[in-house]
Amino acid sequence: MTEASSGSSSRRSKGLSQAGQAKPLPNWDPLLRLTHWGIAAVVLGNYALTKEGGSVHIALGWAGLGLLVLRLIWGFVGPREARFTSFLPNPMAALRHLVGLSKGQAPHFPSHNPAGAMMAYALWACLAVLIGTGLLMTGATPMKQAELEAAVAAGDWSVLVEEGEEAEDDESPFGEAIKEVHEVAANLILLLAFLHVAGVVVESRVMGRNLVRPMLIAARRRR
Amino acid sequence: MSAVSTGVLAGRRRSIALALFLLVQTLAAVFFVGDAIADIVEGNVGAHIYFELLVAIALALGVGLGALALRQTLEELKAQDVALASARGALGDVIAAQFTDWGLTPAERDVAFLALKGLDVAEIAELRGRAAGTVRAQLTRIYAKAGVSGRAQFAAWFVEDLLGEGLDSEA
Repeated sequence: MTEASSGSSSRRSKGLSQAGQAKPLPNWDPLLRLTHWGIAAVVLGNYALTKEGGSVHIALGWAGLGLLVLRLIWGFVGPREARFTSFLPNPMAALRHLVGLSKGQAPHFPSHNPAGAMMAYALWACLAVLIGTGLLMTGATPMKQAELEAAVAAGDWSVLVEEGEEAEDDESPFGEAIKEVHEVAANLILLLAFLHVAGVVVESRVMGRNLVRPMLIAARRRR
Repeated sequence: MSAVSTGVLAGRRRSIALALFLLVQTLAAVFFVGDAIADIVEGNVGAHIYFELLVAIALALGVGLGALALRQTLEELKAQDVALASARGALGDVIAAQFTDWGLTPAERDVAFLALKGLDVAEIAELRGRAAGTVRAQLTRIYAKAGVSGRAQFAAWFVEDLLGEGLDSEA
């Protein structure tokens, strides 16, 4: 947050800071920012707040599916910085970037840097596994799950008879494996998210460029 | 807020609104298609599946077209920014050349630049850490070197240049 002081010193300094090189990085486009924070909210919400397997948990998972689909579409039709062609996966370049960062000389990239790109793909893959296994486990849309819960709440336990048959599936090795994968993926995505945040903090500190600011949604008008 | 930045701001607002709309539309499409697929899996395939198919196609088309519209808006915004930056750079060059022509000292250049930006004496003094009297004296020398009567004429010097050229090139 040390940049905040230099960034917020209003338009007055603009005239004088012509020579100043601490120009803030351009913002990510609004759709990318929305999907980014939307997915972050879905992951954190489903990890910490919702009841596992409940209708809210499922609805959030579906919202995550929508956000992921939108981001992937945006990877083909969005502006250059958002397109996959701007940050194709390249593990060697990612390693080079990390080594450069440890020496304090990592170049800035208009799109994701190579290490950030690998992280983005890893997060998406993890998210896809989470959503896929989640769908396999429930097999129901959140609307149906909500109807089911409403029926049970109203005292109509008969709807669970059908569930009972499915419950046998859950105990099958396949069902158990799916559940296991879902849980492992959930923990993995949290670990990845933590590494992602750590990477952003480290590069922002070491290279003196605020990487958080371009992702923020709140409008910061100069003047 | 200047006229130009108001226009850019409006474009930004539109792009954010479009992005939000696109997000809601995608969520609706995913939920709807999911519900339809669940219907099919459960064997509830009746005539209404065709209507659901129609709605699903419409939603998907809406998402695609919305994404293209948003991208176009963003590209227009970027083009505006580039044009604005090059216009700014060009104007900055003109101003710098003129300041050199008038033989302004480095301190006077700074003061003149801030005066052009519309800051008053007190603001310039505070920004430069000088007494208001010093700034006032510098401004007087600047106006004398430029051969103008005061701040209004000083600012008009550059604007007039721009307007004049604009009319000439049109004629």
